[in-house]
Amino acid sequence: MGSLGGIPLYVLEFGDELVYFSPYTITLFLLALTFTLLAIVSRPERQVDVAFGGDAYTTKIISVDEMRFRRFMAIACGLASMGAMVTGDVFNFTLFTAMVGITNVGIVAAVKSPHVQDAAYQYGLVALSATVPLFGAAALYAAATGSLSMIELAKGTLPAVPLVAKALLVIGVVGEGMAPFYAAKAEMFRAPGAPYVIMCSLSSLLIFLRVAEVVMIG
Amino acid sequence: MIAELVLAMLFGLLLLGIHRKVIARIQRRPGPPVWQEILHAAKFSFKTTWVPATASGALFAGIVLVAVGIWTAAFFVMMTGGSLLIIFGIYMLHKIVEHAFGLSSGSPYGKFGGVRSVISAASEIPLFVSVAVIGLFTGSLELTEITAWEAVHGPLFFTAFPAVVAMYLVLLSKMPFGPFSIVESKELVSGYKTEHFGAWRAGLEVCNGLKTTVLLATFLLVFAGQLPVLWMVIGMILLTVSLSFACAVTPMLSPFDSVTIQSLVTALMLVYAGIVFTGVLP
Repeated sequence: MGSLGGIPLYVLEFGDELVYFSPYTITLFLLALTFTLLAIVSRPERQVDVAFGGDAYTTKIISVDEMRFRRFMAIACGLASMGAMVTGDVFNFTLFTAMVGITNVGIVAAVKSPHVQDAAYQYGLVALSATVPLFGAAALYAAATGSLSMIELAKGTLPAVPLVAKALLVIGVVGEGMAPFYAAKAEMFRAPGAPYVIMCSLSSLLIFLRVAEVVMIG
Repeated sequence: MIAELVLAMLFGLLLLGIHRKVIARIQRRPGPPVWQEILHAAKFSFKTTWVPATASGALFAGIVLVAVGIWTAAFFVMMTGGSLLIIFGIYMLHKIVEHAFGLSSGSPYGKFGGVRSVISAASEIPLFVSVAVIGLFTGSLELTEITAWEAVHGPLFFTAFPAVVAMYLVLLSKMPFGPFSIVESKELVSGYKTEHFGAWRAGLEVCNGLKTTVLLATFLLVFAGQLPVLWMVIGMILLTVSLSFACAVTPMLSPFDSVTIQSLVTALMLVYAGIVFTGVLP
């Protein structure tokens, strides 16, 4: 553990449940917190679109109802991301990751555009499918090592985590967090409502960064 | 630490000036003076500063502070010999910062710059499998422990050469006017930073200076080991000149080609990581 994200600065134990702050997890946690605060205080931008073949342009305005819903989902996404960053338990990490996937769908599905909704629907199917390898990986971690605690796994005293469990965990995270990287569906990450769309990108990247640490443990 | 931070920022801007000068000379242009990027940062600090009427105000301004903040943190981690994982985590988060820069203004140019940033992130993330390779060789991701390992076993430059190539590609993708600089391509005016002027752009210049210093210094620390300060400075200048040559003689790729090439290198790195994993670990 100490050789990956730095020596844990503070560990909070709830029985088997662990929350720990290392230099790495605290960096990621603070970023999730910062962007969540930005999502709370920012109003959405008015995206300008230039009409093809002329000088005309239009601006997209987000209704108050849509803004409220997407802001709520962005805050929920931020909270889930913060949880995923500091948890020291593999199962909790998968739970938070699944929640990030659900809230990401919510952030983009609320946009009143058929193209964005179509992209959100397809992403939703991917995220739904990804829960199988995601939770399967957590089950394999528990079955193979007898523990889900990252600190216990990092000690090296438990049996090694099977490679297939790590692979399934990565596949699950990729599926849940692929919203902003789903290049064929750019409608999602160029949709209006920058503070909320950014939360979508940020949460996905954060869980990618955290899973890189998780799979190197054990 | 504040003095070191300011020096690192100024040195990074100087390196970016050298980068522009070398590219210009290769292309038989006089080019700007090497201190032009420092002048840019100073000039923008005193220019009129505004927030566009269509922008998401708090995000538009706040993201500049986040950009400066994350690279200040990366510099601090590098100076204290912290975890490589944090530095490259921050590198990837810079993609999100670019995305936020682009989307927050409401401008179509900024928006497409931001979109390209996210697309290129998709192909750059897996390049960090090379970080895992470094971890497999040295048994640690702490910079102090990596340099200590190199003091005993020799530089990783020779031990893990494919990882050097992958990281060099990561550096190249962050240099302006390079083959992978699709986020600030001229058909998008200035891409994600089109609408950020005045003090906002000065903040972005500070961020670019710090980013350049941190990435080049980390590359040398990881692959060449702990060098004396003078050798470190010379190494960073030479590295910049080599990157400038690559940028000067390579046309900017289309977004599709850019992502394809990075993905191919990633596939090769995954094979290499697999070989290292089975060869290094019992």
